Amino acid sequence: MVSRSGRRKNLTVFFFLAPTLLAVLVFNVYPILLNTYVSFTNRNKVHPNPDCSVALTGLLDPLCWPVFREHAPTGLAEPYTLADPLFKNYTELLGKLFTVDALLALLRVVLVLLPLALAFFYNQRKTRPDLALASPGMVWLYGILLTLLASFFIDLPGAYANLMKTGDFLAVVARSLIFVVIRVPITFAIGFILAVILNSPYIKGRTFFRVVLFLPWAASSLAILMAKVWEFFFRQQGTINQVLAIFGVDGKAWLQDPTTALAAIIIADIWFSYPFFMVTILGALQAISNDVYEAAEMDGASWWHQLFNITLPLIRPAVLPAIVLTSISAFQMFGTAYAITAGGPSMGAGQPGATEFVMIYAYKQIFQSQNYGRATAFAVILFIMLFGATLYSLRVSRATKGANE
Amino acid sequence: MIRKPSLLGAIAQYTILILAALFAFYPIWFAFLASGRLGDRLYTLNLLGMFIPTEWTFENYRAMLFDKPLLTWLRNSFYVASVTTVVSVVISTSAAFALSRFRFYAREFTLTFLLAVQTFPGVLSLVAVAQVLTALGLFGKHEGLILAYTAGTLVFCTWNLKGYFDTIPVELEEAAMMDGCGPVQSFILIALPLARPAIAITALFGFLSGWGDFVFSSVLVPAPDNMKLVVPGLFSLAGSQSVPWGYFASGAILIIIPTIIVFMALQQFLQSGLTAGGVKG
Repeated sequence: MVSRSGRRKNLTVFFFLAPTLLAVLVFNVYPILLNTYVSFTNRNKVHPNPDCSVALTGLLDPLCWPVFREHAPTGLAEPYTLADPLFKNYTELLGKLFTVDALLALLRVVLVLLPLALAFFYNQRKTRPDLALASPGMVWLYGILLTLLASFFIDLPGAYANLMKTGDFLAVVARSLIFVVIRVPITFAIGFILAVILNSPYIKGRTFFRVVLFLPWAASSLAILMAKVWEFFFRQQGTINQVLAIFGVDGKAWLQDPTTALAAIIIADIWFSYPFFMVTILGALQAISNDVYEAAEMDGASWWHQLFNITLPLIRPAVLPAIVLTSISAFQMFGTAYAITAGGPSMGAGQPGATEFVMIYAYKQIFQSQNYGRATAFAVILFIMLFGATLYSLRVSRATKGANE
Repeated sequence: MIRKPSLLGAIAQYTILILAALFAFYPIWFAFLASGRLGDRLYTLNLLGMFIPTEWTFENYRAMLFDKPLLTWLRNSFYVASVTTVVSVVISTSAAFALSRFRFYAREFTLTFLLAVQTFPGVLSLVAVAQVLTALGLFGKHEGLILAYTAGTLVFCTWNLKGYFDTIPVELEEAAMMDGCGPVQSFILIALPLARPAIAITALFGFLSGWGDFVFSSVLVPAPDNMKLVVPGLFSLAGSQSVPWGYFASGAILIIIPTIIVFMALQQFLQSGLTAGGVKG
């Protein structure tokens, strides 16, 4: 770029950036600081207000700043103070994770998942495909088989139940991860199948199907309203049970059972999110030149062979970032689950509900229990996790960018 | 992959497509059917009535438009979303231009930093945001909500636009500068017109994020009824026992249909704008 040097350039840059930086400081950075501070206090329903004479509180809580004093709500309630011990909120969340039992259970879960991780790294590391012992698909297959085998020998449900008892954090995060692990592959598969079919020139009415199949994406900008429609389907007297009644089957209360409630949310969320994959994959498929397939055809490659050795590797650069991004956003999914179950059904008093995913948990802790201290501690741990995931997604999209162009 | 499918293959493909199309279309169609039925009849749908409108009334629409504050909600939402769009596009365009065109100290850092702070979950910063707005005296006001939305969309918009500016050749602006344009002039006269497609997409995203949001609007503008935005307003109707579900359905249809039409109209744009911007991270 034009080299303009010195103070003049810096001033121009500052002038261009200042509004954004200011907004980000006030609405992103400051909340993070305040959150981190509050996570070390006992702020909750009983102690809602700041004690401005404490130095850090006076500095960080806006209600303590002289300019804003008059807006501060004054109550008779005790002000909040630093938690005693300092990490109380964190230990309540992670709680009994650091006991022998829980750590052993964690180790078992890790052992079960080890083959999958190995398969992943093996496929990443390999630089020369012709030197590989097996194709990526086969490596994954072995990994999955080994994991299934391991979960058979190592008492996985036992370990899982053990971990669920260590505190809210693992329970909530595990539920969200289970949701992601089920939801993302299914959406990918549906999106992929539809994209492959729509990419075939022999299908009549392609435009029609494309428009109709695209509809849920358009509706997903108003996700929470459409999720309410889905909730109506699964109600006790809802659409599904009415259809079942016609066939003489007595439907159950789908949203009252932990497993079917999760299934209901997954189905609804698939509806919202498969078009994104479909469109992304379709775009990638259309970029593949026909010559590649013709050449493969000449060499007598079968349909499956072409699928695994041409199509999938070629769409990988476009699709991988999409998968990572979708996984991150599915992990933080709020609207669909909130509209359908609001976190329920209950798993016992004081315990997070069966479909209480991370954001629902946070929302409930803040706005229903007003348990600010714990919610903010939760936020801090989650932030660290999400930050790592985002850095990873950035690396993935950078790594694949070159191949994309 | 491209060979002509056998008869069996073709049947399988059409079956999948038709099933998927039904799956995609049915929830919206159902909401449409429900919007034409009186609330108490919703639970006695016969099999036929689930697929075609066997009875139809405009009562729900009439009630939503004239008895319920739907139009006020719509106006509120439209106001908040449009102001958010304008403010965030103006601010993020200038930031994106600086980040794309100038090489300055901490440029890479600023980009990563923006992305990093964005990963802090929005629901969780709400308490602090609500506190800031209370302190500013903007809590419960539309202006406060606009500030919060703008801040929320800035990072995405900046990244998206920066990616697009990167694809515009610098030479044009350099030529303008040779002719005596300052950086501000070359930004407004050269870069902005060229970035129009990306700006349009960014604006649409800014608009939709305010239009469809539930959490921020329900927390930051909780009451009174005539201040609410349309999504939280309708959501409260859907959960209420005393209001017929048909009201909710007709209200939802009234705002979902235009949204879908806008989406469809801009479908091509959406795809190209996103890929052109190159925000994949």
